[in-house]
Amino acid sequence: MIKKDLSVDFLGVHFENPFLLSSSPVGNCYEMCAKAFDEGWAGVAFKTIGPKHFKVDEVSPRFDELTKEGTPFVGFKNMEQIAEHSLEDNLHDLKKLKENYPTKIIIASIMGTNEQDWEELAQLVTEAKADMIEMNLSCPQMTSHEMGSDVGTNPELVKKYCAAVRRGTDLPILAKMTPNITDMVPAAKASLDGGADGIATINTVKSIANLDIDRKTALPTVDGKGSISGFSGKAVKPIALRFIQQLREAAGMEQLPISGIGGIETWQDAAEFLLLGATTLQVTTSVMQYGYRIVEDMKNGLMHYMEEQGVDHLSDIIGVANKSIVPVESLNRDYKVYPKIDWDKCIGCGRCYISCFDGAHQAIQWNEEARRPTVDTDKCVGCHLCNLVCPVGAISTGEVVMKPGREGNPEDIKVESPRLTHF
Amino acid sequence: MTKKYETEAPGYTMTTVMEEAARCLLCHDAPCSKACPADTDPARFIRSVRFNNVKGAAETIRENNALGAICARVCPTEKYCELACSRTGIDCPIDIGGIQRYVTDFEQAAKMDILKQGKSNGHHIAIVGSGPAGLQVATTMLTKGYAVDIYEKAEKAGGYLTYGIPEYRLPNDIVEYEIKRIVNLGANIHYNTTVGKDIMMDELKANNDAVVIAVGASESKVLPMFADNENVETAVGFLARVKEAKGNITDLPENAVVVGGGDVAMDVATTLRRLNVKNVTDMAYEEFDEFKASKKELKGTREAGVTIVDGYVPTAVNGNEVTFKHRHIDSEMTIKSDKIILAVGQRVNAANLGITIDKNEEVPYAGYGTADPKVFVTGDIAQGDKTVVWAVRKGKEVAEQMDKMIMGSAKEADLVGGNE
Ligand SMILES: Cc1cc2nc3c(=O)[nH]c(=O)nc-3n(C[C@H](O)[C@H](O)[C@H](O)COP(=O)(O)OP(=O)(O)OC[C@H]3O[C@@H](n4cnc5c(N)ncnc54)[C@H](O)[C@@H]3O)c2cc1C
Ligand SMILES: Cc1cc2nc3c(=O)[nH]c(=O)nc-3n(C[C@H](O)[C@H](O)[C@H](O)COP(=O)(O)O)c2cc1C
Ligand code: SF4
Ligand code: SF4
Ligand code: SF4
Repeated sequence: MIKKDLSVDFLGVHFENPFLLSSSPVGNCYEMCAKAFDEGWAGVAFKTIGPKHFKVDEVSPRFDELTKEGTPFVGFKNMEQIAEHSLEDNLHDLKKLKENYPTKIIIASIMGTNEQDWEELAQLVTEAKADMIEMNLSCPQMTSHEMGSDVGTNPELVKKYCAAVRRGTDLPILAKMTPNITDMVPAAKASLDGGADGIATINTVKSIANLDIDRKTALPTVDGKGSISGFSGKAVKPIALRFIQQLREAAGMEQLPISGIGGIETWQDAAEFLLLGATTLQVTTSVMQYGYRIVEDMKNGLMHYMEEQGVDHLSDIIGVANKSIVPVESLNRDYKVYPKIDWDKCIGCGRCYISCFDGAHQAIQWNEEARRPTVDTDKCVGCHLCNLVCPVGAISTGEVVMKPGREGNPEDIKVESPRLTHF
Repeated sequence: MTKKYETEAPGYTMTTVMEEAARCLLCHDAPCSKACPADTDPARFIRSVRFNNVKGAAETIRENNALGAICARVCPTEKYCELACSRTGIDCPIDIGGIQRYVTDFEQAAKMDILKQGKSNGHHIAIVGSGPAGLQVATTMLTKGYAVDIYEKAEKAGGYLTYGIPEYRLPNDIVEYEIKRIVNLGANIHYNTTVGKDIMMDELKANNDAVVIAVGASESKVLPMFADNENVETAVGFLARVKEAKGNITDLPENAVVVGGGDVAMDVATTLRRLNVKNVTDMAYEEFDEFKASKKELKGTREAGVTIVDGYVPTAVNGNEVTFKHRHIDSEMTIKSDKIILAVGQRVNAANLGITIDKNEEVPYAGYGTADPKVFVTGDIAQGDKTVVWAVRKGKEVAEQMDKMIMGSAKEADLVGGNE
C-alpha cells in the first residue's frame, strides 16, 4: 500500500492527517471516538457541549434524506441540537480520550447563551485537557434564539462571545460559521477580532428536504408537524466550497486558517477543500451513512493524489486553487469548444441527442439507422451538456474556434481537463 | 451472427462500474470476501470503487492475488464470492468479477506497480511449472526477498492460462501482462526446460533451499478406443493450438463432435463455433441435472449454437464414426463427423519428479509436503478445487509454509554455525 505523510499543522497543533469527525452524533462519547481513532481518524470535534442550565429536549424521529434516482443520502436533514449527555459525562470523556489517545486531537465544541456561559465552558474544557476549542455559532435549529445560527449571523454577538471564550482559555479557538447568511466575511472577521484564531465552516444549511404530501407538512413529521432545519451531506459541498473561497478572497484573509466541513465523503472531496485553503477537514453525514471505515479510502486516495501531483506534504496543495478562481467577468469569452464524439466508444443510446434537443441548442443530428450522433457546428454553442450526459464517455472536448470578430489563437486555449477524460 | 473467437465481452465504463458498485450493499463482515478462496477481499475493493478510489481498489486486489486480472475473467464466481453475495436476497449478486476486471484494467492503464521485490534474504527457491500456482508462489516469495527460479517445460509461461483458456474468455495480452509483472519483480524463468529430463530434481535440491512442484495436470486423457485415430484430437491440444495462432488456423473441419461435459468441453465446442465450424455436437456423459460445466459456460455454449446431448457414453469407434449409448435408457446413436475432440479430463505427468500421484490426479494426502522436507507440491496436483483461484490460494499457502521451513532452519543454522 502506498505510504505518504498526510500530517498537517493547524493553529500550532500537529494532526497525523487532516480527517476529523465534525461535532455531531458521530463523536458523541468516549467509545465512539475511540473506535474512530482506531480506524484512522486524526481527531474529533466532540459533540457540542452546552451550559448546565440549557435542557436539551429532542424530537423523534429527527432525520430525513434527499434522494435522486437510486441514490440515497444525496443530502441529509436533521433536527438535532447539542449534546444530550450531561456536562460531567462529556468533560470526563474528553479527559479520558486525551489520556488514552495522546497523539489524537480533541477539539471541544461549546455553545453558551451569554458571555458568562461561554467563558465558563471554555475554562471547563481547557481543564479537561482539550487541544482546541470550536465555538458552535451556527446550529440552525436551537430551541433558544440566544443560541446557534441566530448568534452566528450577528457579527456583534459573535465578537462578544469570542472575546468571552478568549478570556476563558489559552487554547486555539475555531469559530464555526453558519452558511445561512449572504456574506460570511463580516461574521468571520468579527470572530477574529474577538479573539478566534481560525474558522470552521460550514454548519448545516436551513432546509426543507421533502414534504409528507399526505400529511402536508415537512419531513420528518413530529406529531403531524414539521420544521425548517439543517441540511448536510454531499448536496451542501458546493455551498461549503463557495464560502471557503470567498473567505480566502477577502482582503487580509488570504492565509485564513480554515477547518473545512460540508459533504466530504471521498478523497476527491477532501482534495477540493484542501485546494481551496482548508487545512483540516471535518465529516459527519457520510460517517452516519457508512461508518468510520470511510476514512481508509479518503486517506489512501489522498496519498495517491499526492503521488500523482508529485507533492510530499499536504501544505504544498493547501490553497493553491484560490488564485485561479476569478470573478465571472474575468473569464475568457472569446472562444467556444465543440464536442468531439468518438463513434467507436458510442453505444448509440441517444442520450446526447435528447439532452441537446430538449436542454440545449438542437445541435445534434441523430442518424436513426446507424444510431449515431453528429454535431452541427452551426448550431452548437459548445455548452457540453452532451458530454455530461453520455454514459460511456464517448464525448470530449474537440475543436476550439474563436467567436466571429474575436482575436486569439485557438491553440493557446486550455480546454482539456485530464480528470474529465473518462477511463 | 456468432461472436468472433478473439473478441472478449466488453467491460464496464466509469459510469457503469459505479452503478454496479452502488448496487453493492457494503455488507458488514462481507460474505463475498469470506467466500473468496484466495482472500482477494471483494467487499473491500468494491467499497473503494464506490468511494472513487480505484487505485486503492487495485492495491487490495494485487496485494492479495498475483493474478487479479486473470481471476477477474476466469474465476467461477458463481461457486465462490457471488454465491455468497447478500444482494442475491434482493435480486441477483453483484458482478464481482466484472468490477474486478474494471479495476485491474485501470491498474494496467494507469501503469501502477503495486508489488515490490523484498530485500534479498539470501535464500533461493526453485519452482517446477509456471502455471498460476507456480506464478503465485514466485510472487509471494519474491516479495519476501527470496531469489526465485522457475523451470517451465513449454516455450511460454502460464500453463493453462496460456495454453488452455480460450482467447475470448482470457486474452493472451492480459496473461502476458500479468507474467511480465512477475518477471519484473525478479522471477527468473527457464523456458523449454522439463524437470526430470533436461534438469534433474537432485540438481534443483542441491542449489536451492526448497523446491516446489507445480506441474498441474498438463496432459489430456485419451480413451483407449480413440488411440491412434487420425480424426481424433485432444481438447487441450486443440485449445493450445488455437490460442497460439489467435484463432488463425486453417485445418478447420466442417463439423465436429466433442466428447465430454465439463468446462473444457464447453470451451472446445464454443471455440469451434466461434471459428465458424457449422455443426458442433457435444456428447456429455453426465445428464443435465448432474452437469459438471458451470452454468455460465453452459449458457455461453448454448448461445454459441452448439448441440448438447446429455447422458451418452461412446461405445465404439470406426474411423470418423462414433457410436454412443445412453447411460440409463435403451438408446444408441452413431455420429459421423470430420473431427472428434476428446475432452475427457487431464492427467498429471510427474515422471522423475519423485512424487506419487493417485487416480484423482493429485497427491494421495492433504497439504503441500512430500517425503522430502525440502520438496513441496502445489496447484492442481495438491488436494482441493482445480481452478485458477485455488491455484492462487495453494500458491500463497505453500509459500508461507516454505518460508517458515526455511526461516526456521536458517535460524537453527545461525545458532549452530554462526556464519553467514
Ligand atoms: C481448457 C481449460 C479451461 C479452464 N478454465 C478455467 C476457468 O475458466 N477458471 C478456472 O478457475 N480454472 C479453469 N481451468 C483450470 C485451471 O486452468 C487450472 O486449475 C490451473 O491452471 C492449475 O494451475 P497449475 O499451476 O496447478 O497448473 P497448470 O496451469 O497446468 O500449469 C502447470 C505448468 O507446469 C508445466 N510443467 C509440467 N510438467 C513440467 C515439468 N516436468 N517440468 C517443467 N514444467 C512442467 C506445464 O507446462 C505448465 O506450464 C481450466 C483448465 C483448462 C484445461
Ligand atoms: C445529526 C447532526 C447533528 C449535528 N450536531 C451538531 C452539533 O452538535 N454541533 C455542531 O457544531 N454541528 C453539528 N452538526 C453539523 C455538522 O457538524 C456539520 O457541520 C454539517 O453536518 C456539515 O458536514 P457534513 O456534510 O459532513 O455532515 C450536526 C449535523 C448533523 C447531521
Ligand atoms: S455542446 Fe451543447 S449545443 Fe453543442 S452539441 Fe453538445 S449539448 Fe448541443
Ligand atoms: S450519449 Fe454517448 S453513447 Fe449515447 S449516443 Fe451519445 S455519444 Fe453515444
Ligand atoms: S456480499 Fe455482495 S452485497 Fe455484500 S459486500 Fe459483497 S458484493 Fe457487496
